[in-house]
Amino acid sequence: MLVIKDLTKTYSSGVRALRGVSLELPPGVFGLLGPNGSGKTTLMKIVATLLEPDSGSIEMNGADLLRRKDQTRQMLGYLPQDFGLYPTLTARQMLDYFAKLKGISNKSERNALIDALLERVNLSQEPTQPLGEFSGGMRQRLGIAQALIGEPKLIIVDEPTAGLDPQERVRFHNLISETAGENTVVILSTHIVSDVSNLCSRMAIIQKGTILSSCTPREAVEQLKDSVWEATVPRENLPVFKSRFKVISSRMFDGQARLRVISKGQHPSEEFTQATPILEDYYLDFVNRQDLQN
Amino acid sequence: MRTFAAVFWVEVLVNTKRVAPYALMILFAANAILWWGWGPAVGRGWATNSDFYIYRNISAFNFVLGLPVFTIIMMGDPVIRDFRLGVDPLIFSKPIGRASYLLGKFFGAFFVLVCCQAVFAITSFLLQWVPFSGMVKLPVQFLPFIKHFFFVVVVSHLVVGASFFAIGTITRNAKIIYGLAACFYPAYASVQLLLKGLPENLLKLFDPIAFNFHSKGEGGWDQTAEFLNKQVVSYGPYAYANRALMLLYTAIFLFIVYRRFSTHEQTKLSTDHLTILTLPRAAETVPLGLESAAPSYEVFDSPIEASPARNRIPLPSVTITRGLRSTLSKIIAAVETEFRLLRSERSLIVLIPLVILLSIFDLAFFQVEPEISYSVTYATGTSKYLLFFLVGLIIFFTGETMHRDREVRVRPIVWSMPAPNSVLLLSKCFATSLLAFALLAVVGLVAIVIQVFRGHTPVDFTAYVVIYGVVVAPSIVFMASMVVGLNALLRNKYATYVIAVAISAVLLYLYNTGHNHWSYNPLLYRLWTYPDLFTANMLKLRLYCFALAAGLLVLAHLVFERKSK
Repeated sequence: MLVIKDLTKTYSSGVRALRGVSLELPPGVFGLLGPNGSGKTTLMKIVATLLEPDSGSIEMNGADLLRRKDQTRQMLGYLPQDFGLYPTLTARQMLDYFAKLKGISNKSERNALIDALLERVNLSQEPTQPLGEFSGGMRQRLGIAQALIGEPKLIIVDEPTAGLDPQERVRFHNLISETAGENTVVILSTHIVSDVSNLCSRMAIIQKGTILSSCTPREAVEQLKDSVWEATVPRENLPVFKSRFKVISSRMFDGQARLRVISKGQHPSEEFTQATPILEDYYLDFVNRQDLQN
Repeated sequence: MRTFAAVFWVEVLVNTKRVAPYALMILFAANAILWWGWGPAVGRGWATNSDFYIYRNISAFNFVLGLPVFTIIMMGDPVIRDFRLGVDPLIFSKPIGRASYLLGKFFGAFFVLVCCQAVFAITSFLLQWVPFSGMVKLPVQFLPFIKHFFFVVVVSHLVVGASFFAIGTITRNAKIIYGLAACFYPAYASVQLLLKGLPENLLKLFDPIAFNFHSKGEGGWDQTAEFLNKQVVSYGPYAYANRALMLLYTAIFLFIVYRRFSTHEQTKLSTDHLTILTLPRAAETVPLGLESAAPSYEVFDSPIEASPARNRIPLPSVTITRGLRSTLSKIIAAVETEFRLLRSERSLIVLIPLVILLSIFDLAFFQVEPEISYSVTYATGTSKYLLFFLVGLIIFFTGETMHRDREVRVRPIVWSMPAPNSVLLLSKCFATSLLAFALLAVVGLVAIVIQVFRGHTPVDFTAYVVIYGVVVAPSIVFMASMVVGLNALLRNKYATYVIAVAISAVLLYLYNTGHNHWSYNPLLYRLWTYPDLFTANMLKLRLYCFALAAGLLVLAHLVFERKSK
């Protein structure tokens, strides 16, 4: 269990990135959902020992992660949001380097691990290709491979699917779901709701450095039972509907607007039919409400 | 013309948002004040606004203070910057011609550079109204400032700027630019040394930065103040021919860059067939029925199971080692990787042959007078030249190594590894040292081959081993440690370049003007003869050098940005 208590962080520019964040993360994939600039990456960097918080604590199974950085790094697998690789090295050379830095000195063990990792992330067919020639998806898969080195107990993946095409996203989801073990905490930070609904057993929503909600995706969706309605309306009528109803999302489809609105226990109007709530409804409703309050 | 003006203006605008031009202006203004108020004029009774003194100051300003290096750095990367920032597709998708783009970039950057340089001349001009006690001044001068500034500074830096603009634009590799910048002074000094036998007029004709325009006999230290204050500096026909030639070179460089410049991506990107090769496998791992190429939103909200078509590949368990032995293995692994990355630096392809050539040129093509033996003369000669280049190379490549992780954005991953800071710092220091040792070995081998080829046998290998081992090797370790320390302290590559070059230049000036002591000369420049190398005192001096290096590494460890506790 990873326990984060009252974490605060204000940058020298005056931006308050975290305002007393507290979370309890059991083993499994934990989704941290929030819009851009909500403090997700700051939180991830602090947990990954790359940034010092102003106050607060992080413990994993009783061990203080902030004070014993070397021990934290020993149990950590980290895939940053924005990362690069040495463009002239190959995937094997890069993984070999990281494995050595993790303290895996035995060459045959290291080679076996790298073979398995490359196989798992489907990169074993590119043994001599320099990393500078890798596509975005391949780089991301190598990123997750390096995060799995050394049997990490805590894996942090920060915005892993941003910029990936649909097929690579699905492939990446598979990798993450394969990774989550019984004793491993995987923190998946993302602003893509479907990543969380696909992968996470628990989730939290963060906005402006504050945790707004922490629950399971099922609990979140349950809260909107019988409250989500959908309608397809002419595009030009969109402003009217937006002013009359609590619109959570609108998408253009075939020249018309497809609206989803929230209306608890009441049929909004005859154009609407009841829809099955999805996690995105919960997330958008929550974030929109907070925006209105602020 | 409108697109040229737009590119020119944006280049100027971008530069006005950078710190470097303002830093240069401050530096140049301070330099003008220093040479005006505390230069040799005051002590010697020279008028500070005489034509002679204005020319002397502007001419010195043109060459010293790292001005050519600043020019190279400012002019080398305007186009590289667009590609680095990824703004190139936005620009080249507009109806803009290559000539407009390139000329706009070049003249925009050059205009900013000249504005910075002009601060020196303008400050000197304004200082005419500032009263200094004991200073001789003529009535207010105006034209000499303009004349000498344009004739000496602007034209010189136009050709230097154009040549490096061409190199930077064609190669699109900033590292080559910085590498050449680091080697500018040693290379220029070596070329001047090699051409010293040529007639004076030819030297004037081909000198791009006008260093040889006036010989020593044409006025200076040996003339009276009265004579110098009345002297009007005029440029001879060879100087005018030189300037015309430099303008022609500039045009040629710009023409070359126009012909060779391509708006296409130079690096080989992953081609489609690579993606296609992996697609069938990818399809096997996709558990959802993605019938449509454009999946609906709901598809992603379906729960995903591990691939049914592919068994989960288990990861073998591994043994994690800890302690000193593990740290040593990590250092070795990191040095191995850093050295591999250094070897793949494209700038080395240019720099290494250049350094080898210039280090052995004197011995290969000029008469060699044996001192104790030919081998001692060869080893001493090569070590002397090589040390000059090594200063530049180590400053440059250690800076590259120290900041590479951040630049290629691998730093968050490396820093999240359980490796102590000592591993990250020592590996960078050792990798650069290793590169320098390799270069030393190659220069030594080439020197031996030349010695044999010229019949200066027998070859005394001990002389090479002793001179390189006692003088050069510890100096390499010291320099690498110093630059690692400076980089860790300043945390900025360019600030470190400037500070390290400035320290080296000041120390070299002090050593050459007689202020030379082992306590601040760990490289032992001009402080040794061959017999000294076998004394106990030399051992003490070398231990002192290593102690300084260790101290600098400890400093680097203390101020390193990454925290371990």
